[in-house]
This record gives sequence, C-alpha cells and structure tokens, in this order.
Amino acid sequence: MATMDKINDLYARKRKAELGGGEERIEKQHASGKKTARERILMLMDPNSFVEMDAFVETRSIEFNMQKKKIPGDGVVTGYGTVNGRLVYVSSQDFTVIGGSLGEMHAAKITKVMDMAVKMGAPFISINDSGGARIEEGIDALKGFGEIFYRNTIASGVIPQISVIMGPCAGGAVYSPAITDFVFMVEKTSQMFITGPQVIKAVTGEDVTFEELGGAAAHNSTSGVAHFKSASEEDCIRDIKRLLSFLPDNNLSDSELIDCTDDLNRISDELNGIIPDEPNKPYDMKKIITTVLDNYDFLEVHEGFAKNIIVGFGRVNGRTVGIIANQPQVNAGVLDVDSSDKAARFVRFCDAFNIPLVTFTDVPGYLPGVEQEHTGIIRHGAKLLYAFSEATVPKINIIVRKAYGGAYIAMNSKHLGADIVFAWPSAEIAVMGPEGAANIIFRRDIANSDDPIAFREEKIREYREKFSNPYIAASRGYVDDVIEPAATRIRVAGALEMLTSKREVRPSKKHGNIPL
Amino acid sequence: MRKFVINVNGNRYEVEVEEVGGSVSAAQPAAAPVQAAPAEPARPVQKAETPAAPKPAVNASAPEGAVKITAPMPGTILDIVVKPGDEVKRGDILLILEAMKMENEIVSPQDGVIASVNTLKGESVNSGDLLVSING
Repeated sequence: MATMDKINDLYARKRKAELGGGEERIEKQHASGKKTARERILMLMDPNSFVEMDAFVETRSIEFNMQKKKIPGDGVVTGYGTVNGRLVYVSSQDFTVIGGSLGEMHAAKITKVMDMAVKMGAPFISINDSGGARIEEGIDALKGFGEIFYRNTIASGVIPQISVIMGPCAGGAVYSPAITDFVFMVEKTSQMFITGPQVIKAVTGEDVTFEELGGAAAHNSTSGVAHFKSASEEDCIRDIKRLLSFLPDNNLSDSELIDCTDDLNRISDELNGIIPDEPNKPYDMKKIITTVLDNYDFLEVHEGFAKNIIVGFGRVNGRTVGIIANQPQVNAGVLDVDSSDKAARFVRFCDAFNIPLVTFTDVPGYLPGVEQEHTGIIRHGAKLLYAFSEATVPKINIIVRKAYGGAYIAMNSKHLGADIVFAWPSAEIAVMGPEGAANIIFRRDIANSDDPIAFREEKIREYREKFSNPYIAASRGYVDDVIEPAATRIRVAGALEMLTSKREVRPSKKHGNIPL
Repeated sequence: MRKFVINVNGNRYEVEVEEVGGSVSAAQPAAAPVQAAPAEPARPVQKAETPAAPKPAVNASAPEGAVKITAPMPGTILDIVVKPGDEVKRGDILLILEAMKMENEIVSPQDGVIASVNTLKGESVNSGDLLVSING
C-alpha cells in the first residue's frame, strides 16, 4: 500500500469508528429520544476541545462469533477535553454497539481514562447507556466491572466523579454510579436497577414497569440513589456544567474563585421578618439560604430525596460553600434515617474537596416512631454526627430557630468542632421543647396541683421564657455570637474570610469506621 | 391514644382513651383500686364516648388509580382545607398535620381534583395513613 493510501485508509477507519453501530442504529437511538455517545460528549465539552483516545480498540474475545460482530471502539467513546476551560475526562457508552454492553476492552478503555484523571487531577464524567455485561465475554466482563469499581473507590475523594445515566444501567453496572459522588438521571429514558422487571416478576411475582422501578423519579425521591433529575439530555448536560463550576479539579486544589458581583455588606432586611411569631408555624428555609449566598444563587443537590433537609452549593464572596439546612416546611424539619444519610454524604464530599460548610439549623429533634427505630435511626443518625466531627474544613453554623437535643448536637454544633456558631434572637437552643420538658421536670408538681392544666401551662411558659432562647448557650460559649438576621450574610462572609487559613490535625489512622 | 390523668378521692389514675371511628375505644384505669370509686371512672368514659358517636365515619378507601397522599409522620390532623371535588394545583395546601409541635402543611404533589378525603379534623394518624387522594 502506498503511503498516501495508508493515510486514506486511516481516514476510512476513523469514519467507520465514528459511526459506531451504523447509521440505522443511530437513527433508532434518536427515535427513542436519546443522543449518541459522541453527541453527548460534544454537547458537554467546549467546542473543538475533545480529544478521543482508543477509537480503534476492539474486543479480543473469540467465543460466540465475537470476532465477526466486533466493532472498533468496543461500545464506548473515551477521552478528554475541557468544560468551561477546565480539563475533564469522559467515558460515554455507545448503545449502538452491541447494546453498549461492557466487555473486557470496553472496560479497559474506561479504566485507562480513570487512571489518567487521577494522575492529572481532573474530574471524571461517566455517561452510562448500556445493556450491561456482554454475556458473550463471560467473566472477562466481570473483570471489567470490578476494575472500574476499584478505580471509582481509589479515586473517591481525589477527583470529583460524576455519573450520568442516559439509558439503561442494570445489574452490576449500577455500582459504579453508586460509588461516584453525583448521579444524574434523565426522565423517561434512563433507568437503574439491579434486577429488572422480568426477573422480579419471575421471582417475587411483583408487577412493575421499568420507569416505576428504576426511573429518574424513583431514584431521585424514593431511593435517593440519584442526586439530579433532568427533563432532557440537553438540560442534563447544562446541569452537569453548572455543578462542575462549583467544584475544584481535585482534592489538592480549591474551587474556582469567582469575582463576587454581589455586595458582601448587603443587609437583608427580609431575614428579620422571616421567622413567624408562632414557634409552630413553618417557613421556607430556602429563602434564608438564597438570601445569604452571592447573587441568591443556590444549586440544590439531591432535591427530591429527604426533603426535610436541604443540601447544595452556593458561593459567598466568590468562594464555593456547601450548605446543609433543615427545612421546617417538610416534616417539621426533623432528622430521620434518610435525611441523616443525605446530609452526611454531602458533608463528607465537601470535606474531601476542601469546601467550607455553612449550616442553617432549625430542627425540633429526631423523628420518633417504631419505623424509624427499626430501620436504624440510631445507625443512620450517627452518620451525621460522625461526618461533621470528622470534617476539618471551615465549619460555620447559624441556629435560626429550634435546636433541640441530639439534633442540636448533630447539626454542626460547637461540640462537634464547628468553628463559628451564630444564633438568631429567635433561636431556641435547649435539651427539648418546653412542653416536653415541663412534663418531665414538673411531673409531680403538675399531678399534685389543684389545677393541673393551668399549672402545666404556667410551667411551660416559665420554661419557654427561661430556656427557649440562645442566651443560655451563648453564656457558655456554645454560641459565639447572637446576631441580627439581616446581618447574616456579612457575618458569614467575614467568618469564612477569617477561616481560609484553617488547618486542623487529626490523629493519624488508616481511616475511621463510620457507622454504615 | 389520648392520655388523661384522673384524680379521684386522692387516688391518681392514668387513663388512655381512643376515639371511636376506626379504632377500638378503651378506657381502663391503670393499677386502680377498683372498690374505692367504681362510679367515678365510668363518667369520664361516657364523656369520651358520646362526642364520638355523632361523628361521621372515616372514609377508609381511595378510588382506583388516584394518587394517594399519606401521612409523613405520626401526628394530629389540625385542619382539612379541601373536600372531594375541589380542584387543586401542585403546591396547594391540602391539610395541616400537627407533628413534632409544628403545623406541617401537607401540599399537593400535582395538579388535579380531590377524589377522596380519608381523615377527619382532630384525628390521630400514623406514618403512612391515607389522608387524601387526588385524580390527576
């Protein structure tokens, strides 16, 4: 072959590889409301920045006629590029090639970019759209999965890892997203489950559709497996870019410092009036959160799950912060199994990636009930205590209203190492609410009095006067200052500035044993 | 279960009462010296039962296919804002559940029409109890 012919041959091979499973399968993909693997990458990356690797990798399996069926690329497109100017590694499964199934070489391509992402310290984004393991390759496919899960784990806390479910993600394949930091799903066209509806029907007799079982809605609300839900692939890519803008490239760098266009000294008079006069009336905690953040910009994470707690990212003075806040509008803002899990994971992500934690507390306690006890509120609630204690990033807490009992401790209290704790005048920091406390402390007196009901009311009023305020805590230094709500933004900004050089040492250990 | 402390002739009885309307009514003095005042404990029991009788029965079922709204926590229904046939939008308040000493607004997850109201003002509910159902 002449030299020029060899170059032309290269172009031909490249074009063939780019077509994946062929025009027909690409059309089928589009018809089902999905983009192709390459289209997704091109939507994500800055124009002309994507560099593909391993386009010519093929399976070497010889069973079941694989050598006749094989397609260059082996069902996944991998490489690197920039997103808003920052280096990012990506793998995007190609459903048009043998159903996007994972074989030995398909997995090898993915592990190669994962290794590079760790070496170069850049986020890794994995787009899942696959029928699962390539059965023809047998246990070599299992090896492929195992090596991916192993690397997800080793990279965890080193680089941000984002999983994007844009098609089926079934069986063992789901464990990679499960280990990564954030899972995005697209409504209607993505599903995740270990065993699908057919197997479930055969084994347990339950009837369920793909969407009901493991669609975006199910995982964003009931199971809490997914953190983000988008109506379309375009929205999803846009949301990924937005998330990335808050995150650092790796655990040794800080998040990007944005020019702060929002006045740091902005006084927020609306905060002075946001807490209702009656202690039993709810309000929307998100209003407080957005008012304190730069440009009222808050990216909520895990929005549909455990709505009694709010977690997400924002900026103060141009610097990313992680927000954790109770939501009094949902289930009275109690802490329970799911909200403890949700918050603890978020706290640990922020700590791993040097993102300061700012919490807003209005929590009446842990949710009582046999269901909570028997599903292990003890184990799960402990996770939040552990996560805050373990964190060495700057920790700021603002106690806005209630902070009772164990839940007061768990919500980033001074005792767990919070650097700065503010309280609003409406704060009620106590071992429990006045009614509960009066019942216990004055039990005998109430029982023996002439008018128990009036006496009890009197005692509740006394207790509320004396203890349902921030000043007892302030008198002990458990609260560093009681502040006017309108000044919260300035005070938080000032505290964060002061805390930028924080260094905290922990006893050396391999790692702790967080209750799981 | 409502708890009352009844003082009778210097003796203290702790009485638990459940309202009639789906659950068994039980008024039993705990560790009570029965011979001391047999007539007295009977009166509080009657008082608790008579208001229960004229109350409408709780509708325990929702129509097929309707979206069920259940209690997220144990508590007491403070107020029911909707009735069957009402049109609601996503985010509209359906009822107020008192739990953890807070007035919790139970809101509609979607637009629709109220298909059934399955609880009563003042009723004690448990997690998962059916409160309201909506036809989308």
